[in-house]
Amino acid sequence: MKTYIAQRLGIGLLTLFGMSVVIFLMLRLAPGNIVDILFSTGGYVNPSERAAIEKELGLDKPLWAQYADWIGQMAVGNLGKSYRYDLPAWEVIKPLVPVTLELAALSLVVSVLLGVPTGVVSAVRQDTALDYLLRVFSLAGLSMPSFWLGMVIILGLVAWLGWIPPVTYVRPGDNLGLHLIQFMLPALAVGYRSSALIMRITRSSLLEVLREDYVRTAWAKGQSRRAVIWRHALKNAILPVVTVIGIEFAFLIGGLVVTETVFNLPGLARFLVQAILWRDYPIVQNLVMFIAVVVILSNLVVDMLYGVLDPRVRYGH
Amino acid sequence: MKRFRFAHHPFALGLAAAVIAAAASLAVAQAPRSGGVMNVMQREDLPQGFAVHETSTVSTSFPALPCFNNLVFFDQSKPTESVDTIVGDLAERWSWQDNYRNLVFFLRKDVKWHDGKPFSSKDVKYTFDMLREAPEATAKLRINPRKDWYANIEHVEAADAHTVVFRMKRPQPSLLMMLASGYTPIYAAHIPPAQYRTSCVGTGPFKVKEWRKGEFVEYVRNPDYFVKGRPYLDGLKFVVIVERGTRTAAMQAGQLDVAFPGETSKTTMEQLKKAVPQMVFHQVAQDVSDNIIMNVKKPPFDNPKVRLAVSYAIDRRGLIQASHQGGAVLGAAMLPRPYGVWGMSDKDLSTMPGYGPAADMKARAKKLLAEAGITPDKPLKVEMATRAIAVYVDMASFVINELKQVGIEATLKQVETAQWHAMATRGDYQIGANLTGLGTDDPDANFYENYACGSPRNYSQYCSEEIMKLFDRQSQELDPKKRLDLVIEIQKRLEQDAARPVLAQRLDYFAHWPHVKGLVPHHNIYNFTRFQDVWRDK
Repeated sequence: MKTYIAQRLGIGLLTLFGMSVVIFLMLRLAPGNIVDILFSTGGYVNPSERAAIEKELGLDKPLWAQYADWIGQMAVGNLGKSYRYDLPAWEVIKPLVPVTLELAALSLVVSVLLGVPTGVVSAVRQDTALDYLLRVFSLAGLSMPSFWLGMVIILGLVAWLGWIPPVTYVRPGDNLGLHLIQFMLPALAVGYRSSALIMRITRSSLLEVLREDYVRTAWAKGQSRRAVIWRHALKNAILPVVTVIGIEFAFLIGGLVVTETVFNLPGLARFLVQAILWRDYPIVQNLVMFIAVVVILSNLVVDMLYGVLDPRVRYGH
Repeated sequence: MKRFRFAHHPFALGLAAAVIAAAASLAVAQAPRSGGVMNVMQREDLPQGFAVHETSTVSTSFPALPCFNNLVFFDQSKPTESVDTIVGDLAERWSWQDNYRNLVFFLRKDVKWHDGKPFSSKDVKYTFDMLREAPEATAKLRINPRKDWYANIEHVEAADAHTVVFRMKRPQPSLLMMLASGYTPIYAAHIPPAQYRTSCVGTGPFKVKEWRKGEFVEYVRNPDYFVKGRPYLDGLKFVVIVERGTRTAAMQAGQLDVAFPGETSKTTMEQLKKAVPQMVFHQVAQDVSDNIIMNVKKPPFDNPKVRLAVSYAIDRRGLIQASHQGGAVLGAAMLPRPYGVWGMSDKDLSTMPGYGPAADMKARAKKLLAEAGITPDKPLKVEMATRAIAVYVDMASFVINELKQVGIEATLKQVETAQWHAMATRGDYQIGANLTGLGTDDPDANFYENYACGSPRNYSQYCSEEIMKLFDRQSQELDPKKRLDLVIEIQKRLEQDAARPVLAQRLDYFAHWPHVKGLVPHHNIYNFTRFQDVWRDK
C-alpha cells in the first residue's frame, strides 16, 4: 500500500513537472505580456519605459532563467509576486481557495444527491414512463451549459421576484444563512449538470449489476427489494460512479469560471481567467499548478476509495 | 355679483396653510441627510489600484476619485464642464499673472492627508514635477500617459507652504481644464507613487478601508475632511461585477445604488426603465468617440484621397442607429453642444465628409477612390483591426459593410487588448476602428494628445506643421470667442484631412436609484464621482 502511494505520488510529481513546463511555455506563447496590458490602460506605449518595466519584473531574462526562478522559488514555498496587484501571489490566491472548494463541494453534493437516487430509480424502473422522464431530465442537464442555466436563474429571479442572491461575497462567519443562499443557486446550476452524468453512469452500472447471478440469488433468497438494490447491487455498481465523482470534483475546481462570473463569486476559476487576460504569470502559473495538485490528489483519493468499497481490489506490493 | 375674495375664505386659508406646510415638509425632506453607505457599480477590478496618474481608464479613475482632491475641480452640480465651471478644491483661489504666463494657487491651510500628515505646496510641486518628468522631480511614474498635458509648464515653484506658482513657457489659459480633470489628483510627496497601486493616501472625502481584490473597494468617511459637514455618506462600496448581465440584474434588484459611468446604453436604460419605473436616468455625453484610425505612413492610407474616401463612405447616422440604437450623437473631434462647448454646429458638420446624405457621400467616396486608381474591378483589400471587445467589433463590422459599398474590401482582425495599443502605437496596422475618451472637454487635451506630431497616442501618425501651429495658436488665445473660432477651424481641417475621422459621440444613460441625491452626472465620464455632496434619502 505504502509503495503504491509512493509510486502514485512519484508519477504525480512527474505530471506536475510536465504541467509546469506546459503552462510556462503556453503563457509565453500567447501574444503580449503584463507590460503591454499596463500600457494598454495608459493608452500608449513607450519602448524605453516598457523595457524598464520588463527588467523590473524579470521579463527580460531568457525563458529558461525565468522558469528556473519560478521553480526555485516555488521549491522554497515562495510563489512570487502578482504583477497586477504588486502583492505576494499567495496573498492574492489564498482568499479565493475556500470559495471555489466550497462551491465545488456543494455542487458535488447536489449532483450526488440528485444523480444517484434518480439513477437507481431509473435503472430499477427500466423502460417505464418514469425512466423515460428521468432520462429526459438528465439529458436536459447534460445539454444545458451551467453558465447558461446560471444566467437564466439570475434573469428569472430578477424579473419575477426583483431579487438576486448577494453580489458581494458573504463570509460564513458574517451571515451563515445568507452565505448558504448565495452558494445554493450556483451549486444547483452546476450540480444539475454533474448530476445528469452521475445519474446516467449510476443507471447503466446498476442495470449491469442487477443482471448478475448474485443479485438473482439474493432475490431468490427472498431478500427485501431495498436490501437487494441498495445493499447488494448499488454497492458494486457504485465504483464507476465514484470515479466520475472524482473526475467531476477535479473538473469543477478549474471549471467553474463562468458560474463564478455569473454569480459574482470571488473564486479561483474566475480569477484565473482575469489573471490570464492580464498575463499575470505568477498568479496563472501557481493557480494552474494548484488545480493540477487537486486533480492528482483527487484521483489518488478515488483510487484509494476503490479498496475501501471493493475488498477485491488490492494495491501492489 | 358678489366677488369671491379668496384670501378671506376660511377654506382658502386652510388650503394655503396646508400648501405652506407641505412645501415646508418637502423642503425638510430635501435637506441633505447624513449617514448610510452607497453601493456603486464597478465593471472590473481596479487595473492599477489607485494610481490614477499611471492609467487612462475610467475603471481606475472612477473608484479612486473619492480618495483624492485636485488643485481645482469641476463644479459637481453642473453637468457641462468648462473653464467657467471650475471651482477651488485644494486651492482656495488662484490668479493668472503676467498675461497668463504664471498661474498662482493659494492653497487651503486646513488639509490633512489620510495618514494625518499636513498637506502643503510641497505635495503639489512633487506631483507636477513627477507628471511632467522635470529634471528636479524626486519621483518617477512607471507609466505616464498624460505627460503631454503639462508640456507647457516650465517650472513649478513652492513659494511658501501654501502658495504654488506654475510658470509657463507661453500663455495657456486652458491649463486649468487639465488641472480640474479627474485624472489630475494631487499625490502625497511622502508616499512613493508605486504605493498608490495597492493603497490610497489622499486628502479626499473618503478613506480606503479595504480593497478586496476582485471583490470590492470599501471607503469610510474621512472625519478630518476639510469641507465641513461633508461627506454626507458614512461610506461607499464599489462592487466589482465583471459580467454585464449580472451588473444590470444587481442594479435592478437594488443591490447597487449607482451605475458605472458609460455603462448604461439606451437599450439597457429601456430595459431597466420597464422593470423599475422609478429608477432615475440622466442622458449625458461620455466624451468618448467612435473613430477610425488610418496609418498615414503606409499604403494605401498614405494617399489622402483614399483616407478621405473612407471618411465619405461611412454613414454616421446609420452607425448611430445600427450600433448605438440611437444612443449617440453626431460630432467631430470635440464634444458637440449642448454637451460640450467646443463642438461644431450641425450646419458646419453637415458640410464635412460623411455627414451629408448617405448616397451623395458614397458617390463622392467612389469618385475619390477612382481618382486613386481603385475601381470595382480592382477593389482595394485592407485589414480592419479592432479590439476584441463587443463595442469595438460592432462598430468595425458596420464600417466594413459601409466600405464594401464603395469598393473597399476589408476583413476584420480582432486584436486582444494586450496587443491593441502596442500595435496602434507601433503603427503596425492599416486601418482600425477605435474609441477615444477625453479626460476633459478641452481642445489642448484632445489636440496635443491625439493629433499632434509625435504624440504616442496619435495612432494615425498624422502630422501637419500647419495644423500644429493652429494648435499652438488656439492654446494661447486669450479671447474665448476667437479661440472657439480657431478650434472650429481646426476641427474642420482635421475632418477634411481625414486625420482620424470621428463617427459618433457616445451617450450614457447614467442610472441611479431615486434615493441617491446630490449626484449630478457630467458630460464626461471621468470627472464627477467624488461623492462629496451625495446623500441617501432613505
